[in-house]
Amino acid sequence: MPAKMRVEGLNAWYGSRQALYDIDLELEERATTAIVGPSGCGKSTFLRCLNRLHEELPGGRVEGRIELDGENLVRADPALVRCRVGMVFQKPNPFPNLSVFENVAAGLRLLGVRRHDELEEGVAEALEAAGLWEEVEDLLDAPGTSLSGGQQQRLCIARALAVRPEVLLLDEPCSSLDPIATARVESLLARLRSDYTLVLVTHNLAQAVRLADRTAFFYLGKLVEIGETSTIFHRPNEKLTENYVNGRFG
Amino acid sequence: MAGLASGERLAPMEKGRRLAFLRGLGALFQGGTVLAAAALTVFVGGLIYLLASGAAPALAHFGGGFLLRSVWSVPTSSFGGWPEILGTLLTSALALLLAVPVALGVALFASEFAPQRWRSPLAYFVDLGAAIPSVVYGFWGFAVLVPFLRGAVEPALAAVTPGIPLFAGPVLGTGLLAGALVLAIMILPTVAALSRDALRSVPRSQREAALGLGATRWEASRMTVLGSALPGLVGAVTLGLGRAVGETIAVALVIGNTPAAPRSLFSATATIPSWLVARFAGSQGLERSALFELALVLFAISLGLNVGARWFLGRRELRSALPGPPTRRRPSLRHGDVRPKGSASAGVPSWWDRVEQGRPPRLRRRRQLQRAVLVLVLAAVVLAALPLASLVSTAVAQGAGVALRPSFYTSEPGPPCGLNASQGCPPGGIGPEIEGTVVLLALGAALGIPGGLLLGIYLAEYGRRTFGRGVGLLVDALLGTPSILLGIVLLAIFLRWDRPDAQSALAGAVALGVLMMPIVAKATDAALRSVPATVREAALALGFPRHRVTLRVVLGSARASVVTGSLLALMRAGGETAALVLTAGVSTYWLTGLRGPAPALAPFIYDALTVYGGSPGYVAEAWGAALVLLGIMAATSLLARLLFGRGTEAGAS
Repeated sequence: MPAKMRVEGLNAWYGSRQALYDIDLELEERATTAIVGPSGCGKSTFLRCLNRLHEELPGGRVEGRIELDGENLVRADPALVRCRVGMVFQKPNPFPNLSVFENVAAGLRLLGVRRHDELEEGVAEALEAAGLWEEVEDLLDAPGTSLSGGQQQRLCIARALAVRPEVLLLDEPCSSLDPIATARVESLLARLRSDYTLVLVTHNLAQAVRLADRTAFFYLGKLVEIGETSTIFHRPNEKLTENYVNGRFG
Repeated sequence: MAGLASGERLAPMEKGRRLAFLRGLGALFQGGTVLAAAALTVFVGGLIYLLASGAAPALAHFGGGFLLRSVWSVPTSSFGGWPEILGTLLTSALALLLAVPVALGVALFASEFAPQRWRSPLAYFVDLGAAIPSVVYGFWGFAVLVPFLRGAVEPALAAVTPGIPLFAGPVLGTGLLAGALVLAIMILPTVAALSRDALRSVPRSQREAALGLGATRWEASRMTVLGSALPGLVGAVTLGLGRAVGETIAVALVIGNTPAAPRSLFSATATIPSWLVARFAGSQGLERSALFELALVLFAISLGLNVGARWFLGRRELRSALPGPPTRRRPSLRHGDVRPKGSASAGVPSWWDRVEQGRPPRLRRRRQLQRAVLVLVLAAVVLAALPLASLVSTAVAQGAGVALRPSFYTSEPGPPCGLNASQGCPPGGIGPEIEGTVVLLALGAALGIPGGLLLGIYLAEYGRRTFGRGVGLLVDALLGTPSILLGIVLLAIFLRWDRPDAQSALAGAVALGVLMMPIVAKATDAALRSVPATVREAALALGFPRHRVTLRVVLGSARASVVTGSLLALMRAGGETAALVLTAGVSTYWLTGLRGPAPALAPFIYDALTVYGGSPGYVAEAWGAALVLLGIMAATSLLARLLFGRGTEAGAS
């Protein structure tokens, strides 16, 4: 598998506190990479660096190289980066002032899609891809926030998919959902796996095993180890990784 | 071991007695808060009664026609309120039109666009702008803006638009345009501060959702932040309008104060408050009743605006706040119209080619738009800063000379001297004004701060039922009542009770106390409500009686906000002019007692320009007084920010 994204010497700070130290890794195309590690180890920070959202936080600062198809994103226009590298957040965050339809259409409108039939087609496809179409078909004019929590999260996934990102970042997308909604989102991610390059931050190790082709283990802002998911969970190189995946800490 | 087991140390009997004692204290405390609430209810009821009964003779005499007639003649006892009503509505509407776009720009910059390290100083200057007393704005308008309008702006406007009645008439400088401009400059910081709060209250997750889709900052604001903050923004604007409608002194100094309906932007006219402050104290009989009727109209307008504004500010959800949100009617997609094609990457839609070819699609234009908005917003910041900078620099230039003289703080203002004998004016000072301000503020605070605290505690802790909600509404109503109305009502009360010395230090102190009370109450209420329920529960679970929970635990953890609220109230009262001009009377002498008239800093500036007709000696001293007021406000704002890390604009403005 060729590398879709390549990260070299990535350091990130919140004000004067360093959150990431010299991260080097590659994300394979059309594969799912899980990022695991205990709380506060820099998983989310790393993810937010990949589409330049980290620098939007007060004091957020990044150094290093992040390549997408060989192009350095750290120098690129953040708006462009973010429409190529989409993001789904920990808590569902549909735009409360927009309808279900407009939530999904928001990204398309940014790209300059104006014609109604094109918008409707794009929205319908994205909702279908997110497995939400059947449920919201008749609720397209309702506010995005009127859906259930799990539906809202799939709406957010549809919103991100509508602009056809090359990479989709998922920051613990199920952590605020109940088990049934989690199962639905997971089955959706399993379907997207073959078409998209996914990066999944998760606290839930079983979820990483179920969904990820490769897994990276972060600890205290450093990348400890990355490899095939089965290798990481069964024959890790590092003692630290083994202790973590066996539940001895974290 | 034994020390922990307190049950072994207090016999059950003794424990019971101690509890009974605490319960008694609690009842006493609760009684105090209820008393404060009752006193407030009586006061607001009395206010409405006094306004209505004062207006009754005029209502009976002139009927409804009073509101539509343009006449004010004491010799013929013929009065009509149309010019003042129209003047109020026009100046306020015009001020809003001018101020709101600039204020929104400032708020957008402060909340969305400004680099992180600029935000705190920016917030300080916005707070400072909101804290500058209106009489200082009026003085600046009188001394700088009006000559500028007369000399440059109005002749130019009249020249380029010949024959347009809007820009016709004699060029005086004073008039509708000057009034509207000063009002706009005055309400701008308030609207900007409240709008910024509304924007800041939109959760970060929404901004990130938009940015994560590739939106620029402006696109993120447009897509979600502005929409979600809309109720708060509408509330901020409405509150600004309420402020404009009730503003007295700043308008009175620049509008010409003539009871004639405006014919053009340059016409000298009057507003209800400016007319009230000029006429009320010296009026009697039918004229006084006519003034009461105008006051009643003003009360109704400002009540409506304030209740409306707070209703909007209390909403977070757009849909529940605005009737019929702008849902463009889009027919829902129906089966057959559009057939989803499975996964998003299966079929390639027609627009994708354009996106692929033009990658980055439209990005140049979007970046330009972002830059254009940034330029506009920065222009708004500059536009907002200009009058403030002019005001401060003028006050320094004109006032520093006198203010640097030590005797300025210890001597009485010099006697009025001839208008053309400026070199012969003996140097005076503002000693009595400083003394008067300190005494009035101390007495006012002795009434307003404890009263406001009890009222706030009542609202947050006890007043949870219908009566409590009613008291909350009354506090809002009083907060939005123009201070000139408080002055009129208190003067009327003191006239009945204390006829010969109605205008006195005592009346002034009561006016300041009544002014401060709702501000302190509102801050206390908000602070107490923001203490998490878990803190309360932790204390209750230890067996604390309710009033001790309130006093020790809840008030303790909310102390900073309560102190900030009290500082805000002191600043507001320290700059208050309209109410004091009516209640404390005119004086430039040291206090002789509480029953005599009392001088104070802010009213002195107004008196120097009006009662003393702009005598040069007095004007120089007034600039000194303005500079002192500015210094006090700047220092207090800074103090509040440094001590408690938050602004003084709070929610109470």
